[in-house]
Amino acid sequence: MTVLPLDPKDGGGRFPGIDVQGQSPHWDRVTQGVVLARLGRPTDLRFFTVAEEAAARALFDQLLDQRQEPRVPVVNMVDTRLAEDQTDGWHYDDMEPDPAAWRSTLAELDAEARERHERAFAELSWEKQALLLTDIQAAEMWRGRQTSRVWSLWTRYACTAFYSHPLAWDEIGFAGPAYPRGYKNLGLNAREPFEVADARPAQDPAAHTAKSQTGRQR
Amino acid sequence: MASVKDRNASAWLLPPVPGTNRAMRTDMAQFRDEEEVDIAIVGCGAGGSTLLQRLARAGWKAVALDAGPFWDPERDWVSDEAGSHHLYWTEPRIISGDDPVPLGSNNSGRGVGGSMVHYAGYTPRFHPSDFHTYSADGVGADWPLEYGDLKSYYEDIEGELPVAGEHWPWGDPHSYPHSPHPVSGNGELFLRGALASGITAKVGPVAISNGRFGNRPHCIYRGFCLQGCKVNAKASPLITHIPDALHHGAEVRADSMVTRIEIDDKTGKATGVHYIRHGRARFQRARIVAVAGYSIETPRLLLNSACKRFPEGLCNDFDQVGRYLMVQGAPQTAGRFESEVRMWKAPPPEVSSEDFYETDPSKPYKRGFSIQTVSPLPITWAEHVAAQGHWGGKLREYMTDYVHWACLGALCEFLPQAENRVTLASEKDRNSMPVAHFHYSQCDNDRQLMQAAQGAMEKILHGAGAEEVITIRRFAHLVGGARMAADEQHGVVDADCRSFAVPNLYITDGSVLPTQGSANPALTIMAVAARAADRLIAGGASKPT
Repeated sequence: MTVLPLDPKDGGGRFPGIDVQGQSPHWDRVTQGVVLARLGRPTDLRFFTVAEEAAARALFDQLLDQRQEPRVPVVNMVDTRLAEDQTDGWHYDDMEPDPAAWRSTLAELDAEARERHERAFAELSWEKQALLLTDIQAAEMWRGRQTSRVWSLWTRYACTAFYSHPLAWDEIGFAGPAYPRGYKNLGLNAREPFEVADARPAQDPAAHTAKSQTGRQR
Repeated sequence: MASVKDRNASAWLLPPVPGTNRAMRTDMAQFRDEEEVDIAIVGCGAGGSTLLQRLARAGWKAVALDAGPFWDPERDWVSDEAGSHHLYWTEPRIISGDDPVPLGSNNSGRGVGGSMVHYAGYTPRFHPSDFHTYSADGVGADWPLEYGDLKSYYEDIEGELPVAGEHWPWGDPHSYPHSPHPVSGNGELFLRGALASGITAKVGPVAISNGRFGNRPHCIYRGFCLQGCKVNAKASPLITHIPDALHHGAEVRADSMVTRIEIDDKTGKATGVHYIRHGRARFQRARIVAVAGYSIETPRLLLNSACKRFPEGLCNDFDQVGRYLMVQGAPQTAGRFESEVRMWKAPPPEVSSEDFYETDPSKPYKRGFSIQTVSPLPITWAEHVAAQGHWGGKLREYMTDYVHWACLGALCEFLPQAENRVTLASEKDRNSMPVAHFHYSQCDNDRQLMQAAQGAMEKILHGAGAEEVITIRRFAHLVGGARMAADEQHGVVDADCRSFAVPNLYITDGSVLPTQGSANPALTIMAVAARAADRLIAGGASKPT
């Protein structure tokens, strides 16, 4: 069975034996069609240029810590959305609509990498890429744009693609679509026969951070 | 009061199995464009559908045009988050201001049924105090009607949806037609934390049938309420009002984007609506026009309908169109528990508290907030985590902890402000119509409410035993933009939703609300539309021929 690579110390393997795909016979046909399509051959790229593809691949690998195969094919999934203009429609008055904003921010990412290291973003080492992104995230403004808006554009598309994939659901213990079956065991620590208990419930990633944190939707 | 079935037989007109009554759609009335219908309604959401059903029952020749599709839940909706993007209005729009409001996902719907297709299902009433906040507190606005004017309509709609919940102790205390649903781990923790911190919390009020209702089945607690209810258990006008409307001779014309309301320069009256369907420009004649496109599209349509008589936009003689548009501050706070919560199981709407709804004289701010359970699915939960600044390995690790988190959401009563408004941008959509530009900034009272709501949610979660809490600041719901008022210098329509400027033009959607309370707006939008329908039928407007 395919499992996304994630070290146990980073949360890997908390739900041993979970198999969301194996539940697909219990889903309605339309949902099967939509979800199982994500497991098939990734779509060919239509939106990103070659240079944009390189930058986007490296960026998504960093944002989602995908260092090796098997990967969720995030770059193909985002490319499809942008090619088909499947955006939320709105854009800030000081930013372009999403497809254009993707092209320009990826170009800026490469420009930033070249200014610092004389190479495109994708050609940098993993550590240098990570440092560069850390610096961008920390700044209020980045290359004439509000950083939070750029960061939100990148992470929204990355997370929407990644956490729509059944392999990512396996990783977080989410059992996937629930129609027409529904749930019958509600309540704390109550599980359905097809749900898998967290093997390491004390592995609390929030334990060493501030007790109360606040962020903002962009 | 007549039984629900005698007033609105929608639930009995649906098939006794999942899906829709196809014959009703293929056999429905089809009015010709040249035929002057009694009323053309623009938009088939909470307001438009309710009006359509009421008028069709009264024998009116009524057609409702909707820009989106006539949904078939079995074919069009999925039990999947990313696969439900098509439920939202995603046409181009521009946002700006100090606190720009993202659109196109949780706050705007598309197609027959409108936003109620993907709303969670909470249907609280407004409190009596909501109708005169200006007199009482010097903030917001006074409505040209009072709670008592809407009360019987609230009761009617609660029966038609129907709403399930415990006896409701807040506002005007009342009961619900269906008993409260069982709660999941998330609701259990809210109830436990509220008890520990001296806060009253109740199960409900949710528009999800608890038990069979007509041919609608019981909820199966699958948790995908925000993706459209394939079960037909959660109420939306698609199943609560449209079937009865069609049965009484109404037409629903889907895939029809209304681009302009036509005004006769001589009479100053509306003569019908221009719309685009299947690529062709058409014009439907109508004796009365009602706009129900919600808070962004309704003002946009009025502004785009500028003509000789109304050069600044229809009904805009006093620069009121598009103004006083409101969103609710909707911070969500999540807490981490050693137990497995699995908050996505069961409908996200379960338990709420209105303990903080009213103005508290001991606080520096006016008005208040409500608190409700919310239960983000994986993609939305990733947004919570990413909002804390996490990415890469930390994001992945945080996400593997998903089963341990419970999540609450607040609705803060942000105040109506004149500068929070829709105007037209130079950018155009695929129909060559200028798109809406939505400018939004919070005031100081808004920010204080947001902070207070976060504090209350943290208290509840800690009271339930949470160690860590994380909060994401966000917005929910839209109302206002063409508000009702006592006169034309302060609003666009009167208490009956009739426009001040054009005697046969009505607005029957959330855009007419002058204030929003901290209640989810769907029930009030329906109640206001049902009241407007009664006034129309009683002859407040010119009678049908």
